[in-house]
Amino acid sequence: MDNYKLIEHIGNGAHGHVLKGLNVKTNEEVALKRIHLKKKGNDIPISVLREIKILLTIESEYVMELFDYISHDCSVVLIFEFMPTGLWEVLHDLDDPPSIPHIKSYMIMLLKGVTYLHENGIMHRDLKPANLLISNNGILKIADLGLSRTLWSPEENGRTYTHQVATRWYRAPELLYGSRHYDQSVDLWAVGCIFAEMINKTALFPGENDIEQLAMVLHNLGTPTNQSWPSLKDLPDYNKITFPPSKGKLFEELVPDADSTCINLIKSFIRYDGSKRLPARKAISHAYFYQQPLPCLEQQMPRPDQNHRTKIKQQLRRNSKFDLNLDELFCLLNE
Amino acid sequence: MFPSSSQKKSWIFSNEQELSKQRENANKAFIQRHVQRIQYLGDEEKSQYFLSPNEERMLVKFYEVKMRDFCRRFTPEMPKVVIGTAFHYLKRFYLNNSVMDYHPKEMLITCVYLACKVEEFNVSIKQFVGNVKGDLEKATDIILNNELLLMQQLNYQLTIHNPFRPIEGLLIDLKVRSHLRDPDRLRPSIDDFLDKLWLTDACLLYSPAQIALAAILHSASKNQENLDAYVTQTLLDKNNGSQYLKDLIEAVRKIRTFLVKNVEPPTRDQVKRIEKRLEVCRNEETNPDSEVYKQKLQEMLYEDD
Repeated sequence: MDNYKLIEHIGNGAHGHVLKGLNVKTNEEVALKRIHLKKKGNDIPISVLREIKILLTIESEYVMELFDYISHDCSVVLIFEFMPTGLWEVLHDLDDPPSIPHIKSYMIMLLKGVTYLHENGIMHRDLKPANLLISNNGILKIADLGLSRTLWSPEENGRTYTHQVATRWYRAPELLYGSRHYDQSVDLWAVGCIFAEMINKTALFPGENDIEQLAMVLHNLGTPTNQSWPSLKDLPDYNKITFPPSKGKLFEELVPDADSTCINLIKSFIRYDGSKRLPARKAISHAYFYQQPLPCLEQQMPRPDQNHRTKIKQQLRRNSKFDLNLDELFCLLNE
Repeated sequence: MFPSSSQKKSWIFSNEQELSKQRENANKAFIQRHVQRIQYLGDEEKSQYFLSPNEERMLVKFYEVKMRDFCRRFTPEMPKVVIGTAFHYLKRFYLNNSVMDYHPKEMLITCVYLACKVEEFNVSIKQFVGNVKGDLEKATDIILNNELLLMQQLNYQLTIHNPFRPIEGLLIDLKVRSHLRDPDRLRPSIDDFLDKLWLTDACLLYSPAQIALAAILHSASKNQENLDAYVTQTLLDKNNGSQYLKDLIEAVRKIRTFLVKNVEPPTRDQVKRIEKRLEVCRNEETNPDSEVYKQKLQEMLYEDD
């Protein structure tokens, strides 16, 4: 720990605090994430093992890479590049909303990161704007792999995953129906939600609870049919709840500012049938990214302010009508 | 991928001397830390007080066999990768640690337990210790107390590249590109080969693909088959594979000789004698049965709160 000087508290991650620090040797700013490996009398949670395993193998420009790690009592301190802000903050920055070229570029970076993960057999399972951080150079990187896990190889198909994953708003409908045999396509649903949110500047399906989340998706996309979602009948919670029939809305209503190519791309992610969702690698070559206005070049992406995160928090606090404690608010939003 | 893995970077060594050197250093480091214990002993007793690197090695080997048996008996049946990963962990651990600090019988169950989790073979701790003979509560404590230590000593490098996948790949390739009749018939003696190989240092010296090839070639010759032509003409590029081929043949030859010279584990009597001396020279601070250990653990947990 002597190599690092702590500067300030940035936030709370899934497993513990995140601090800003300085590498005293290189003068680099870093983020230190302390992960408690175990509680008294418990063993090391398997989620922690998974995160460590995955973090140690990642090498991608668009996924947060581990610089270093240090043992510290019953915890390990993970050291990452310091990221001054994130997509969540960018989308809440009312003074300076992202332009279409910027959105396109963020989207490509997100897709490149997801491509890297998926092609290396890793699904993230909790993609959301708050987990997409933006570096000093304006590069978007996927963070917080706390829920991610490697895919079973095909010969081991019998095994199941927990369905209580992914922040609700970005949760694919098969998860809401209790699927335990889902795959990487749950990330593609989340990508679609994030994309629509970048255009709308507000969440696409902001359900207040799991039932409402499902109701909202079904209401907007229309009652699924055997054709649009062949495997629905096999999902564990399919018979437990029924919703009023809905014809669904047009995507033009859901994302009013989008042109037809943009809608086409959103639609290719937001589909009931996971096997029909557009794989990340293919999405990168979608026409949307080749029509005017073109995506902003990476080296010309806006460099975030050093205190962008704090600025947005303060803005939100000012705008908030309720006297919510800041931490409570972030807890709610990050959930 | 193996080529960019921590296994290749940090846990494959160039020769056996290097491994012995590491183990000797671990032994030496322990003795240095505890040298004041023998300052009043006579020369004869002095030289007999601590375990030698060779004795440490024998003890670990003895418990490697125990670990294999434990894994074999385990219910529900344990996937092969879990066993392979547990062996890697145990071997890595004792490259840098002395048995005088951590008794192999304690580390072996911890290694298997961690391997179960890392390889996603989901058994609860309760289910797991149900497989341990003796005091279940004590076994649980040992695992919970050593798990973190083990992970730190492995430098958090938990991903293990086992030879099982390359073996599957080679078998498929044999089916597609060789004239070998029914390659699946090689399986029993491949398994047998690996079973024995886990008791050697091969996995600290050779890549999983080299070990896989050695297993296949070994099994082929057991089955009166010859795959030389497949290796030299099909598996490797005819044009620029020659230097590589020489190295590969050498590696395979060495892996196969491991089985001949290295497998014999020490006898029960030898082990009894070593363990008796271990009782005397063991570090009490890391012995879960000692009062010092219990006290230290209490303090640590107290600080944690």
